Amino acid sequence: MVSISFLNPLSPEGKDTVRELGSFEGISQDIPELRRLVTRNPSQEIADDKEIPSNYLELALKRMEWYIKKKHDREFNSRRYSFLSDQSITRYDVIAFYLLCQAIGVKFGPNSRETRVMVESQGDLIQERLGKLSIGESRLMVEKSLQMLLKDDMVHWTFFQELLSTRKIRLTDLVLDRGELILDREDFIDRFAPRIEHRNPSSMYQLLIGDELKELIMVKMIMQETEDYIKQVHEKARLMVEPNPVLLELADEVAEVLAEPMQHYGYGSGRGGGGPMKAGPLNPLAFPPCVKKALEGIKSGGRNDAIVLFMTPFVSYARLYPDVFRMNISKRVSDQDPQLEITENEVLPLIYEAAQRCVPPLFDDQPQEKVNINAKLGFGMHSTLKMEHEGETTWYTPMSCEKIKLHLPHLCRPDDTCKKIGNPLSYYNRMIWEVRNQDESDSNSDGTGSSNNIAEASIGNVNTNDEVDGPQIGVTGENGKSHNNSGEV
Amino acid sequence: MDLKAATLNERRQYYREEWNVKDIPDFILNTLAHREFGFDHMGRGPNDRYRVFQNSDYLRKFMRYRTPFAAYSSVAFYHKPRRRDGWIKAELVFDVDAKDIPIRTCGCDNVCEICLNQAKDIVQGLLDTLKGDLGLSDIHVVYSGRGYHIRVLDDGVMGMDSDVRSQVVKYIVGSDVPRSEYSSHGMKYNLEHFTIPFGYPQVFTQRVKQALFAVNLDTEIDEVSRDIKKAVIKHRELLENDQWGLFRKEIGPVRYSRLVKGIASLNLTLVDAKVSIDLKRILRLPSSLHSGVSMKSTLIKNLETFDPFQDAVPKFVYERKD
Repeated sequence: MVSISFLNPLSPEGKDTVRELGSFEGISQDIPELRRLVTRNPSQEIADDKEIPSNYLELALKRMEWYIKKKHDREFNSRRYSFLSDQSITRYDVIAFYLLCQAIGVKFGPNSRETRVMVESQGDLIQERLGKLSIGESRLMVEKSLQMLLKDDMVHWTFFQELLSTRKIRLTDLVLDRGELILDREDFIDRFAPRIEHRNPSSMYQLLIGDELKELIMVKMIMQETEDYIKQVHEKARLMVEPNPVLLELADEVAEVLAEPMQHYGYGSGRGGGGPMKAGPLNPLAFPPCVKKALEGIKSGGRNDAIVLFMTPFVSYARLYPDVFRMNISKRVSDQDPQLEITENEVLPLIYEAAQRCVPPLFDDQPQEKVNINAKLGFGMHSTLKMEHEGETTWYTPMSCEKIKLHLPHLCRPDDTCKKIGNPLSYYNRMIWEVRNQDESDSNSDGTGSSNNIAEASIGNVNTNDEVDGPQIGVTGENGKSHNNSGEV
Repeated sequence: MDLKAATLNERRQYYREEWNVKDIPDFILNTLAHREFGFDHMGRGPNDRYRVFQNSDYLRKFMRYRTPFAAYSSVAFYHKPRRRDGWIKAELVFDVDAKDIPIRTCGCDNVCEICLNQAKDIVQGLLDTLKGDLGLSDIHVVYSGRGYHIRVLDDGVMGMDSDVRSQVVKYIVGSDVPRSEYSSHGMKYNLEHFTIPFGYPQVFTQRVKQALFAVNLDTEIDEVSRDIKKAVIKHRELLENDQWGLFRKEIGPVRYSRLVKGIASLNLTLVDAKVSIDLKRILRLPSSLHSGVSMKSTLIKNLETFDPFQDAVPKFVYERKD
């Protein structure tokens, strides 16, 4: 029988395992039993003896390596990691899990890329492990874990606040009745069978809830608990004097494993070339549909939001600091444009042009919005851009797609590229390469002169995946939580 | 009835002769000291903010003397409302403005009886979902002057952040097309939203139905041609008996999926989502005067029988000479 802690190391069984181990003493010592288990596994492929994890720390790193390679390495061979789905390693795996969470919590904190990768890898690992079980066994495990996680028979949807907030699940994925989550077959039949016509309620249950939804909720809840645990560790560590050096060392090694694909495999799969985005003249061909639409001018309501809250941050970041989300460092406009020349000559004119094309032209009846534009660039509530005012307000980061859908639904007309990104700025960064490649292959330029309008490239790769749907990263965060208007109705 | 603005004298008359502080609903009076108040004195937007009233008598006096053009209170409760600081929790609100209904049947410039009625139907649908699917019960509906505010005060939702609120908005308005492919034991099955009589697919079906009955040839729906709209108008009576399968067949499956996709994206504007996700919003104070249209913002006891042109008209309107 598989132990619950093989799926959820944070379960009571998992905690017992950690308690049995006691302290960090001997944590890096060889465990011959672990080596034996790995080599004995019939589906295990071993190219080099060095690949066999021989202690907790090595096993921990293998967990991360599995996830990173699976995601980014085209030559990924799952058989080299077969041992990760072998339940006989449970005891060691649980310890490795805790070591990782603690190392990442201590060194990087909850809002780091390391945390996100850890949380996602745990989710993938659970699914991988479930997939290796028989249907009956897997169903039983999911059932058992859910019982522990949900505690009550009846769960109100508000219980999932955190999962909804971090968008790990969507409210529309849940089957709800009078506020309660319906997961149980009897419950389902009880409540919905009278409404179901021309179909067998039982098979309807199997399709709509069945194993799939239960598994989804279980996996996402364990991911959330993992994230919460890392957060706890981080908060405790801040109060403690000196973290264990073993953890710090492990954290550095985790960072190395995560950095590897940047050098070798290339992020943002499907895209050739790449490199840190350097600021360069704007290329309107690479603008996402929402920006193109806003540039045409807003003809119905929402002019202010479109120009001030949406276009101002987008145009300024696209021109001056396109890789803000990847860098995850807050900057001021003058860090990127010390003389404010670009801002005055390229950024503002484009914003003003869009404002002028609105119906009625925005500044005709609301000239004060010029001040608000300056404020969103970080220059306080003043009518001109002056260095001495910089910092009075913050330079707003571009609104996420999610926010645009809510604030400016008329602008959002997604195309295929939109499906791959979570922020218009990521769209721009992605497209700028494609536009350039097109230009290179097509020497008959269409006369917009875009070949000069492209961000320069250097060696390396841009990580656009980081921004798609992960939790908010750091202070600026592309979800744009800094946007906090308190308007009125 | 023509909706013209109230004069200063009419405002005075309203607040000094007709209005009573007890007309403010209990859910606000009981939490008065924790809320921020905002006022618009000149009709140029609520720029007199950060006001706090320790009890209803102070508020009563303020309203009588200042007779504001418009009065608002926060949906948020604060420890320090005077500084909009120490946020405790906030009502979950939905703003249905008759002027902004995505598919309007009336075509008027401002608001009229037809679009106000349409707004009422939309509110009724949203209420059904809030109660039936989401199990919420502490719900108040307020006529705002140009539409309706749904204000939810259930404990379970008041602490929620903007991200959760935005998920609730999307659920109740039906802004995502439910998936139609489901699988079990490796077999794939196709289930259209209208074949699932519960949960989110049912919500979506109801919203789409409401929209389809409002569609006319001039309605702009993304990537939906005039031909499709013609077909919708021709065949929509099938939906009166919920014959969705036939309706979809008449429209054609490919055009049908384009149609529902277009409606889903319009649905996002059924409510003003900005209002719902703003944790510090101020909303028009129920019982106060909407001076722009000379109507009373009114707490509604029975939505079905509520008629703004009967129940929300201040006396001075009847006394107007012109």
